[in-house]
Amino acid sequence: MPDVFSALADPTRRLILDRLRESEGGLTPQQLAVGVAMSQPAFSKHLRVLRECELIAFRSSGRERIYRINSAALQPVAAWLRQYDAFWATKLSALGDHLATQQAAAEPSEEDDQ
Amino acid sequence: MSRITHTETYDAPRSAVWAALTDSDQLAAWLMPNDFRPEVGHSFTFRTDPGPGFDGVVRCEVLVVDPPERLSYSWSSGSLGTVVTWTLEERPGGQTRLTLEHDGFRPVRDVFVRTLLSMGWKRKLLPSKLRHQLQSATSQ
Repeated sequence: MPDVFSALADPTRRLILDRLRESEGGLTPQQLAVGVAMSQPAFSKHLRVLRECELIAFRSSGRERIYRINSAALQPVAAWLRQYDAFWATKLSALGDHLATQQAAAEPSEEDDQ
Repeated sequence: MSRITHTETYDAPRSAVWAALTDSDQLAAWLMPNDFRPEVGHSFTFRTDPGPGFDGVVRCEVLVVDPPERLSYSWSSGSLGTVVTWTLEERPGGQTRLTLEHDGFRPVRDVFVRTLLSMGWKRKLLPSKLRHQLQSATSQ
């Protein structure tokens, strides 16, 4: 999972994904970079990171690359979240058991005090 | 995806729940082995078995210690930094209501929520409770 999270942690890469999501039929690197204050190599690097974790993909149209978003790559994020939700449910249940044990252990001494 | 939230009511006084959350040995008994201390700024770790893409170490720093009501620490595993906050409320009959908020999935939230929730396959991916939380996050 770290790859997708690292990829999404960067604001430029999130901007790229936002633009692709809102586009019909995909966008070229030039269209994606409109208004982004960054060198072309730096911007290309962001595209590469997104490609490498398969959040985006491209097809060639003549000499141009047309990028599109690949939402299926977000599926591991959903799985990860689901796991975390289940993790806490289990741990809070374990806390309940722990507290019950603590309370049971504490009760005799309370009676001694009375 | 701004947060994961769980609320439980325990049949134990608030001081006991606070102790279970802030005593390192007690914390280890129900959560994970750790070197926690209830001091703001203290850096500590939780350690558990490594899994795929996870080295088994959660790196944390204590952010808020407000006994016996509120405890918060950062929670970083892998590349994602999040925040865990515990809120303790006294209930009648010596009970305590405990709320866990695991927050800070915001870096991925904007992309994730708008994209995932707009897809037809969200239903099979997310349990209804989580889906509801995600939808609340988008409407905020």
